[in-house]
Amino acid sequence: MEKMLLKNIENPASADINEYKKSGGYRAVPKAAGYKPQEIIEMVKKAGLKGRGGAGFPVAMKWSFACADTKFPKYLLCNADEGEPGTFKDRPILEKNPHLLIEGMVISGYAIGAEFGYIYLRGEYPGAYHILNRAIAQAYENNFLGDDILGKGIKFHLVVHRGAGAYICGEETALIESLEGATGQPRIKPPFPVNAGFFAKPTVVNNVETLSNIPIIIEIGAEEYSKIGSPDCPGPKLYCVSGHVEKPGVYELPMGTTLRAIIYEHCGGIKGGKSLKAVIPGGITTPVFPADKIDCPMDFVNMPRHGSMLGSGAVIVMDETVCLVKVCHRALKFLEHESCGKCTPCREGTGWLRSILERIENGKGAEGDIELMLSVSENMMGKTFCPLGDGAASVVRNFIKHFRNEFEEHIKNSKCKMKN
Amino acid sequence: MITITINNKEIKLEKPVTVLEAARSAGIKIPTLCWHEQLEIYGGCRLCLVEVEKMPRLQTACTLMVADGMVVRTETEQIADVRRGILEFLLINHPLDCPVCDKAGECELQDLVEKYGPAKGRYKEKKRKVPESFEDPLIVRNMERCIICTRCVRMCENVQGASAIAVINRGGHSHVEPFSGKRYDCEYCGNCISVCPVGAIMSRLHRHSYRPWQLTGKTETICPYCGVGCTLVLQVRDDSIKRVIPKMGAPVNNGLLCSRGKFGYEFVADKERLTTPLIRKNGILKKATWEEAITLVADTLKEIKDKSGSPAVAGIASPRCTNEDNYVFQKFMRVALGTNNIDSSARTGYAGAQRFIENIFGEGATANIISGLSNADSVLVIGGDPMAINPVLGLQIRACSRKGGSIITAGNVKGLKYFSPLKLQAELHSETILLEGLVSALKDKKGLSGSNKKLEAEIKDINISSEDVAKKCGVKKESFIKSVELLSGAAAPAIVLGKETVQSSGGSYKLLLAAAINYLINGRIYLLSERANEQGLLDMGCMPDSLPGHRPVALAEFRRRYESEWNAVINDKAGLSIFEMIDAAAKGSIKAMYVMGDNPAYNLPDSNAVEAALNNLDFLVVQDIFLTETGRLADVVLPALSWAEKDGTFTNMERRIQRLRKAVNREGMEDWKIVSEISKNMGVSLNYRDTEDIFKEISKVSPLYRGLTYEDIDKGSAVYPYKGEPLRSLTGDIQAHKGAGIVHGKLHVRLERPLFHSGTLSRRSPALIKISPEAVVKISPDTARALSIENGNIVMVSTKTGSLKLPVTIDKEVDSSYIMLTNNFEGKGAFSLMGYSIDPATGAPCIDNNEAIVERVKV
Repeated sequence: MEKMLLKNIENPASADINEYKKSGGYRAVPKAAGYKPQEIIEMVKKAGLKGRGGAGFPVAMKWSFACADTKFPKYLLCNADEGEPGTFKDRPILEKNPHLLIEGMVISGYAIGAEFGYIYLRGEYPGAYHILNRAIAQAYENNFLGDDILGKGIKFHLVVHRGAGAYICGEETALIESLEGATGQPRIKPPFPVNAGFFAKPTVVNNVETLSNIPIIIEIGAEEYSKIGSPDCPGPKLYCVSGHVEKPGVYELPMGTTLRAIIYEHCGGIKGGKSLKAVIPGGITTPVFPADKIDCPMDFVNMPRHGSMLGSGAVIVMDETVCLVKVCHRALKFLEHESCGKCTPCREGTGWLRSILERIENGKGAEGDIELMLSVSENMMGKTFCPLGDGAASVVRNFIKHFRNEFEEHIKNSKCKMKN
Repeated sequence: MITITINNKEIKLEKPVTVLEAARSAGIKIPTLCWHEQLEIYGGCRLCLVEVEKMPRLQTACTLMVADGMVVRTETEQIADVRRGILEFLLINHPLDCPVCDKAGECELQDLVEKYGPAKGRYKEKKRKVPESFEDPLIVRNMERCIICTRCVRMCENVQGASAIAVINRGGHSHVEPFSGKRYDCEYCGNCISVCPVGAIMSRLHRHSYRPWQLTGKTETICPYCGVGCTLVLQVRDDSIKRVIPKMGAPVNNGLLCSRGKFGYEFVADKERLTTPLIRKNGILKKATWEEAITLVADTLKEIKDKSGSPAVAGIASPRCTNEDNYVFQKFMRVALGTNNIDSSARTGYAGAQRFIENIFGEGATANIISGLSNADSVLVIGGDPMAINPVLGLQIRACSRKGGSIITAGNVKGLKYFSPLKLQAELHSETILLEGLVSALKDKKGLSGSNKKLEAEIKDINISSEDVAKKCGVKKESFIKSVELLSGAAAPAIVLGKETVQSSGGSYKLLLAAAINYLINGRIYLLSERANEQGLLDMGCMPDSLPGHRPVALAEFRRRYESEWNAVINDKAGLSIFEMIDAAAKGSIKAMYVMGDNPAYNLPDSNAVEAALNNLDFLVVQDIFLTETGRLADVVLPALSWAEKDGTFTNMERRIQRLRKAVNREGMEDWKIVSEISKNMGVSLNYRDTEDIFKEISKVSPLYRGLTYEDIDKGSAVYPYKGEPLRSLTGDIQAHKGAGIVHGKLHVRLERPLFHSGTLSRRSPALIKISPEAVVKISPDTARALSIENGNIVMVSTKTGSLKLPVTIDKEVDSSYIMLTNNFEGKGAFSLMGYSIDPATGAPCIDNNEAIVERVKV
């Protein structure tokens, strides 16, 4: 497949506006200006674009909700707080192709009637911060941002805001809280951001990759776009692969490419010819797959059918040398650290699970620990304020579901056999 | 109409509410922890999860709005599991130290675990350890017990508006702290303590001195401090007040308190309370029996009255005493002593200001409901900081700001500075120009309607441009213009008026201007009141010219009605005001004075001169709970019962009558009882069984209270104008005085009215002393520089009337034209430095013209 999101990425100057324009960039803005906002939403709907942040919510539907709200002003926020462990798919867009995102935001802003946009950028991407700011400055100079873009009467202003490192700020309402200057904690829904988001005004929050798809849809048309990848959720998809593969990295492939194809065809197979043990397919909180499940197409429709989720498309590959109790413990340690503390089950449950896992991994597991973990995670599942706690519970449940024997061995032998 | 079903019970609802509220309205209990009726919804504890048909996930009842046809289940097996699970989570890091925790017995977590929780813990890991913090003198924090429900933080931020505490750190490390991490830098309202469901934030005042189930009395009464009249619940063990808590749903404060109300109760049990009467013998006050004291007072008063006539006797009533006390007192003065020389410290501002405003708008013009302030769309604050003087009223202004109302502050209103006020900060002594400017501009905008001809005649010629206002009083022109816009465009404006304006040169003219602004914008006036029963004592007739119910003593028709009720002849001549009494005492024309529950030798300006005048009396009787500055000058001192030891009623600044109820026992007599004993000894029987008996007479005598009973008061329906007859038609000519111009360029003394102190009561309350331990003089950084003074240096402040040695606090908010002092600490009262002149229209003292010299004292 021809690269669209990462087009031109080999060019060292790809972040420059002139290089971007040379490769066909910013053609979508004047084209979009020729449509009515509603027509753009229709196109996006016809294209079948689903949000690339992890939940796969239909973009056009989210936009229509915000459009239907009569409050003004409206805001467009770009979620660039790429914090899910294993995820680095947005980074090449931010660093190598920032104008694609800006172009996407200008068009999206026009479509939903937002004149102000913010990019909420992961604090640990200092490079991207400078690149984005330079790109935004260039866009202003070239009249792709401003009060009257290209003389088409479109007004859109864009500001980059750096997060301070909290994972939870990738959750859209926590992101909004943080952007407003408050502690990053999720809000009660409803009201949803599309009705009362940033400063209680209708707000659309879209992922970097999602917004970067918009110029492509405008350029090639909804019909052409919908032919790419899975028919149920078409388009190009960025898969970021890490762990024990020969060629880890970000791969732009048609949506629905199977895990097997990603690992063995594109990434060159398992590193050092070892055998595959497990894959976390969509970021640390998505359910882990044992090696025999990798024939599943990676998209929003098929993954749930196979017991996992596409999530952010962050594929973490683990070979036979990996202790999965340790991985599970590491994941929980992260989630405990990142739990915002607002709701009881997540605040207390993540820490509890982590400490049990720590004991087991350190050879101090006790009989009944597995049942206890299952019970604790059951007490969390579906009871937390936001998906973080659910995610934590689900990590534990799925690791135990697929690799229970490893946990049992740890407890029985009072040690981890992977440790020297 | 919305119909929902909870646990197979059909519930019909008028308007959409949360499932939790719907359940509660139907008597279905859903356990909660983070939810609190005063606070915004949070949804964090997850205890209130319920099953809702057609919804895939469990839902929190506190956040979910009902929808027609919704089917909810709260008592299923699954929900029981959820509750058990959540409580288990809360307990894993919660110390099981109930046996030593003061909260045990009334701890919400304990109760819930008892009812819904797991019988056994499964947690084998280490618990979170956080040392208990005793950094603060009043509030102890035990963050191991904290369950991060954030009620305290939401209270502090969104209701109190102090924003002094926050959740620090994240996740399992979350805990609540003041920003210093140590001592609180806050308003000490204690409302965080009131809402904490566990033993995480508690008062140190009663630490380990009771278990909740040992608190026998739970008496509902009214706060003794300011004129707001908050309902307090006094909780008692062994006849000693252990703590004060607010009451949800109470009419004025609805569960909120301020520092004085919450922590200022310890004076009741102070060791220095007077226990027996004292009689001066050979110049020294010596303990005496009640019989001796009462006989002496009765005989001496009678003797002086007989020898020098009724005008030689005077009485000072008390804004700290009940309506009943004050009613009996004025009746005693009028009937037994035949004089109208009755007045009180209300004369220092409130009385005159209210009379002045009522004369323009009719009686009851200031009787506005305090909670209504939060619904105003703009509030103009003049002459005082409501957050310090009447804190719980101040909260309503903060709420108004939060709801989007505009706050305009004339003068330095510290307590509202974070509530986006539009500041009109006129330089010292230039407030008149600012107010004239407002009247002038509002007149241009709104025009004169003609409905109040008298008032319009007074203001029709006022004409000052916004430029002049900006130039002459240093107010920003844009702010001035913007505030005129806001006030003229307001649909429900309010004016909050403090005493500093009334007590300034030209005070009555400024009142006229404030009234004119109110007239032009069609607003409501709130008159700040520093004392709990300032309004009540006026209503009870403790004024030289008015009988109970504000009936003029000069009108024979009224007099006759009271004469027939009291079976006595009432002197037809108006008496002296409190300041005239002091002058008369100094001159020798008043020979005897009876002071009930006040401290004029300290609480009146030019206190050194007042002291000299009182010393000049032949006979001074002081009735109080402590040996005050005035008591020390007395010939006879009579110990009274304090507010917590007696029944009666207070009337607050909105003119709501509320019941005081006895919470603790103490030997002695109520003020009214002492007065009636003396009266009896003079041969005039004032015979009452109890306070209700007195109130019955009040409602019979005074047309204002006709037919009003304690039952009505208990029902909360004793709100002005009760069932009685106000005197709306009796308006006279408007008399206002512009006052003399004041020379600038010198340092003037200004009175600070602080949040943490009121005077006689607060200085005997150790908790308040811990927050604010001593008198200081506040000076501006510029003044400090000019005089080479640093923070904490001791200075001598001298004026024409006295001098004081005080430590200095350099305060950025003080301007270089003045220094600020409080009048709360013994021997260090600002009033000793303040001479005054009397505003002829209000009778209030103007205390803003006192130049001071500040000199550093070399140690």
